Amino acid sequence: MEINPLSVILVKSDSKGDRLLFRYPFQVQENREISNKSRKNPYTLTVVEETLQSPASYSSNINKGVLSGLSDEVLSSLFAVKTDLCNKKFELKVNDVRFVSHPTLLQLKTKQSEKDDDSGIMLINIVFALSALASHSVVGCYHDLSQRLGIILRHEEKRCGYVSEQTQSMMAAHDDYTSNNSAAFQVILDKCTLGDNIKKLYEDLCTTGLVHLKVNRWITLSFCLPQKAHQWHLRGHIVEPDDIDRCLTALRPYHSLLLLHPVEHLIDFTCLDSSPSLIKMLTQYSPMKNLQTLAADSDLTLSHVFELTAHLVYWAKATVIFPVCATNRYVISPNAPLHQNSPLIEKFSKTFPGLHLIKTIHEFSVPTSLQSKLNPLCNSTLQSSLVQNIIWMLQHHLLLQLHTYIEYMPMENGASNLNTRQFEKALSSHGTSVLSASFPEPSRIELSESATSSVFEGQDGVKHFENYNASNEEKQNYQEELLLDFPDEERSEIFKIPATNTPEDLKLFAKLCRKGYFEGTHHLEEIMYLENLRRSQLTQLLDKFRDVLVTYDSEDPAIAMFSCTGCLQ
Amino acid sequence: MMHLDSVEHKSLVCNLKDSLIRCIFFCEFHPTAGPIISCQVPENYISKELFDSISVYIITKPELQRSTITVTLEQYKVLGFPIRIDNKKYARNAFHFNLCFVYDSDARTVQYEHVVTKFSEYLMAMEIEIEFLSSGSTCAKLTPILNQVLTDLNTKGECALTEGPIATHLKVCRLRSDPSPVFDHQVPVFIKEFPPHQWDLTTQQVTPYIDGFNHVARIAALSDVDNNLVKACVQNLVYYGVVALVPLFQYGNVYCSTPKLRTLAHDPELQKHCLSYVARNNRHMPSSRDVFRVYAAMSRGTTIRDLCMRFSFATMKINERKLVQFGVLEGLIRRIQKYPVLVNESLELQKTFTGNYSVDEICCATGMATQQLEDRLERDHNVILLCK
Repeated sequence: MEINPLSVILVKSDSKGDRLLFRYPFQVQENREISNKSRKNPYTLTVVEETLQSPASYSSNINKGVLSGLSDEVLSSLFAVKTDLCNKKFELKVNDVRFVSHPTLLQLKTKQSEKDDDSGIMLINIVFALSALASHSVVGCYHDLSQRLGIILRHEEKRCGYVSEQTQSMMAAHDDYTSNNSAAFQVILDKCTLGDNIKKLYEDLCTTGLVHLKVNRWITLSFCLPQKAHQWHLRGHIVEPDDIDRCLTALRPYHSLLLLHPVEHLIDFTCLDSSPSLIKMLTQYSPMKNLQTLAADSDLTLSHVFELTAHLVYWAKATVIFPVCATNRYVISPNAPLHQNSPLIEKFSKTFPGLHLIKTIHEFSVPTSLQSKLNPLCNSTLQSSLVQNIIWMLQHHLLLQLHTYIEYMPMENGASNLNTRQFEKALSSHGTSVLSASFPEPSRIELSESATSSVFEGQDGVKHFENYNASNEEKQNYQEELLLDFPDEERSEIFKIPATNTPEDLKLFAKLCRKGYFEGTHHLEEIMYLENLRRSQLTQLLDKFRDVLVTYDSEDPAIAMFSCTGCLQ
Repeated sequence: MMHLDSVEHKSLVCNLKDSLIRCIFFCEFHPTAGPIISCQVPENYISKELFDSISVYIITKPELQRSTITVTLEQYKVLGFPIRIDNKKYARNAFHFNLCFVYDSDARTVQYEHVVTKFSEYLMAMEIEIEFLSSGSTCAKLTPILNQVLTDLNTKGECALTEGPIATHLKVCRLRSDPSPVFDHQVPVFIKEFPPHQWDLTTQQVTPYIDGFNHVARIAALSDVDNNLVKACVQNLVYYGVVALVPLFQYGNVYCSTPKLRTLAHDPELQKHCLSYVARNNRHMPSSRDVFRVYAAMSRGTTIRDLCMRFSFATMKINERKLVQFGVLEGLIRRIQKYPVLVNESLELQKTFTGNYSVDEICCATGMATQQLEDRLERDHNVILLCK
């Protein structure tokens, strides 16, 4: 897999010259068949031009997942970079291998015994060799890791001369085994803690993508390679840091956290100096609570809960869902690994004895809500076990939640352009107020001022022309007032709907329409949350105005990356 | 493949924009001065100081000769192919040179690697033939060539060097990922005009049957071409972006809307394209609200047959097959496949009910009608039909 490092290389360069101190893995099985034997089609014509020029030899420096074909001396000379390139990102591609690192200059802690003839500056370069196919984001992550290691080493050198001590013992090992690099590396691995750290680093990166190191038994290095770390729960789907960022910016207070591990395991994961608020939050955790409730229960600010959620999501410990509740409709996720030999079947039966995964999930072939599965006679144990089933299936990304989106289409040819533009403006101003990080309490205070004022004006007008007592005209009046900013042709379409005779309905419709909720970007639950409406109110409205509102079901794109659909085209 | 030049050319031009060559320089190992840039187009693009800090990656150790080496700096990306010619006649018994292309540091340069290699080898051949590089006044001779390569590659994506005793042609070929395998039950649809080229015989025989409704196995039968050859041919067309694969259309199929459906309501271009695609005839366009309504009505549990009963496609002037095809191609809707899974042990046909194969695949492989299979599945209580 191109995310795994091919090799980790430690190079130093100082006044005494450059040297490759350590690289891992270093055991290379020598006797192998020559792998770069090119397969040639025996039927190809030999073009004369080709024989004149030397054949294009495509050389590869990767052999069975490890770096090959470059000697230690060459590597050392490549990575002992000139001072101009120090303390910034270093990226070099040789054939099909990409090397990435952050060369770090550090001031050696001089000891009294040594004579001070040199400046005492050393270059330390921890280089990751990757496959050239690795994406930009993977390269960026490795650079970050190398930079962090550089900072740690610089600090440890300043604190207690760790780097000088380690490099000296590594040099000594090399001098003892001049002819046999492998043996020298083995000695370094046994004796030097830095060598051992590099080994652990490599192994962690290749297995889980989560690195936990204690450099010099003092400084903790925690690092997560998201492209790799998410593999364990989303096999075959590469999660890019950008995807996670996008999901996290789309986080809303009504979303909820779904841990992928039992809470007890996560308490272990949080190490000694982890944030106490994380533990506080975990003790209050429930997949039925939305983030806002979770924040209130654990006595934290909402924005801090968002940060903690982001952290857990990035480290592949949790995903984001809409809180499990009775009205949620679920369907089977496309790409869900459901087949006879799926290990999930056994895992499910183990967790829920007596149940068969396929039989249980079968009901979700069509959109099914918890509500519809329960009848009034059901006892609460059945309900709770059903909820547990759903949570389990959500944790394994087998289910997908459907939301209802609404699109406002007053005319045969959709909305007129003018109107769309107006709404977009309304949406953007609205978006900054409601969807910003502060998340004000959603309530009726948020009522659109223009809508309310126009209604009042309308009523005033009604009073004013009371003598006129033409009820028809009265109706006309407030309608006109309400939809003043709608283009004429749209207004006439809307007035064909009988529900416009009820002022409340029309008022609500106009308000929601103005706020841009009917543009397919807000699902039903979001509108309910933001406008403090009941589901029945909203569904009734949708039904009344169904001539101009088209509804459709789809998954929430904000959190869809966690449901295997991200990999679908 | 020569016949796909123009197909490729279109995608290439847009691809070129993001990775233009900023500079080409030629550097050599001077017997006394060491590594120097002896010719650069445009001049002084790479400063002497910058060059000195990266010269180790340009004039390299012997082990790295003939490797494509890319160094990424803060501002630039330098791609080179170091070459050494051993000969007693040179001052140090060898002539080292490297011809490097310079790009912006965030450019993608993989597609240029073969160009640099070929260009370097061309220069090497010129040197061996007529001492083109070592006989003095290199810069004067090289500057026009480098200029030509720079402008031609940046504008046309290809360049022909015909001066001197040897000619060579350089071309930037975009690298694409391999297309996924093609299956019997998939339907190829043209997504752009079929380029009028000298296609190979199989393609010529197969393409008349690609009408957007025939599936691969059927095309093979109709065109009397071996199934695997049809697959290879379709895969090739997919690679060049001429056709796309969609699932089989049947009135019993179930589709569902995707989040992308929203774009249809807000993208006037897409709307226009959609209406003309799904119209029954060109004179009477369907209304976009009707089209949107039908797409929105597609949900799990609703077959196209159900939709035909609910809506009157004829009065809406919508061709429902085209409608589904457009939706799938644009990703507005998605086919819901049915996967039979056998829960107990049993035999024959049921061996395919593992959950790995959809009804489409099974029907195609066994030659059974979908309805027949579904009836059978309904009767069998050991089989569960999952829709996903």
